[in-house]
Amino acid sequence: YKLLHNWNSLLNTQREEKLLEGSVESLISRVAHLKNALHSFIYKLENEYERLTWPSVLDNFALLSGQLNTINKVLRNEKTPSFRQQVIIPLLLSPDRDEDLAKLTEQRVPVFSHEIVPDHLRTKPDPEVEEQEKQLSAEAARIGPEVAQKQIQTLNKLCSNLLEKLNNPRDDRDADSAALRLNKPSFNPADTNALVAAVGFGKGLSKCRPPGPVAPGHPGQGPMMSGGPTLQQVTISGGSGQLQGMGPGAPQQQGQPGKMPTNIKTNIKAASSMHPYNR
Amino acid sequence: MEAPPVSVMPVTGGTINMMEYLLQGSVLDQALESLLHRLRGLCDNMEPELFADHELVYLLKGQQGNPFLLRARRSLSHPTAPWHLRYLGQPEVGDKSRHALVRNCVDVAASHSLPDFLNEMGFRMDHEFVAKGHIFRRGALKVVVSKLSRVLVPGNTDNTEPLSLSSLVELSVLAPAGQDTMSEEMRSFAEQLKPLVHLEKIDPKRHM
Repeated sequence: YKLLHNWNSLLNTQREEKLLEGSVESLISRVAHLKNALHSFIYKLENEYERLTWPSVLDNFALLSGQLNTINKVLRNEKTPSFRQQVIIPLLLSPDRDEDLAKLTEQRVPVFSHEIVPDHLRTKPDPEVEEQEKQLSAEAARIGPEVAQKQIQTLNKLCSNLLEKLNNPRDDRDADSAALRLNKPSFNPADTNALVAAVGFGKGLSKCRPPGPVAPGHPGQGPMMSGGPTLQQVTISGGSGQLQGMGPGAPQQQGQPGKMPTNIKTNIKAASSMHPYNR
Repeated sequence: MEAPPVSVMPVTGGTINMMEYLLQGSVLDQALESLLHRLRGLCDNMEPELFADHELVYLLKGQQGNPFLLRARRSLSHPTAPWHLRYLGQPEVGDKSRHALVRNCVDVAASHSLPDFLNEMGFRMDHEFVAKGHIFRRGALKVVVSKLSRVLVPGNTDNTEPLSLSSLVELSVLAPAGQDTMSEEMRSFAEQLKPLVHLEKIDPKRHM
């Protein structure tokens, strides 16, 4: 019976070992995949950064994150034996260069010596991290639970306030600009044309032949010129001074919309022949 | 228009070969405040200047074709300030690579007897208008937002009537001829005013 028991436990151990080996193998292959992906990504970053587009960078990140996730899933899987319970003991330390090891680690670890073993087989965090963690726990122990609770509340309040501020003005702004875009045009192209024409050559401005303040009586010239055309008559014959007819496409004069050009010519001729300063 | 008669070009002073680069647009009265607000933010850090001007446009008709045009301006808010006489050349709008209208521009300050003087020379006033509004600056760029009114009784600037429900917006810069980088700068500035107002290169002849 004892023998049978021993045999059984031996079988169990063998099965566990097989399982462990299998999962280690699959883990190694997945890590190798991850390493390859990382390698090609780094290569791209270093050598093809000129042609690299942002979407393809994102694709690479997605690939890496997917592979990391798979590894995590494998580790958490119930069928995977817990690696935590396995112990690795360095059996042999040697200050000499080990070619096999160097080949196995792609020249990263050429020597398996007392100097590097503690670093590579370390299961605890790095000393600096450990130090920081110690400080933080000391700090946490120092302040009482009440104070801690208060600080948590303050932080939560700050965060929610900030979130609110970030969310609300965006709504306001969106609504504002949307209203501006959709409901209220801020300019009118017809008005633009009317105003440009008005400053350009007085279109829509009442033509004036001032008898009053600006040219108070210059006999000899005034009467002679009074029949001459104004610029407005030259440019838009018979401008009515009414704004309503000023739309860009609207015909300007009620009487003879098609005859504008001929009017211009005759008017100019008439004016130049009458000019007092004949050259 | 060809070169102005020699008698009208200022003989001294360095302003002869200056070109005015111009973009124009308009803004509806209800959006005026937003535009002023944006300009205050975009332009040099100063309070915008308010102005109220009376512009009189004078014509001299020569023998060949085109009448010769001069613009006389006086400030209504500063009656003692000198008058301003301006000659504007024919706009060049054809060049597609240039983003702004370009025209020759001569500015001279003048005394208060300018209207009389122009009359004696044979000029006749063609039309007049009143422009009130704001001036903004950004470096060499000048932005003028003005409400135009027509003068109902000739010469009487108290009796005016708004020309439309919009204000004229002009972005301009004075530069020696050939400085086309200016128009690039103007375009990028105009870009920042969209969609509130669209500043464009507008050929006035198109709307004659």
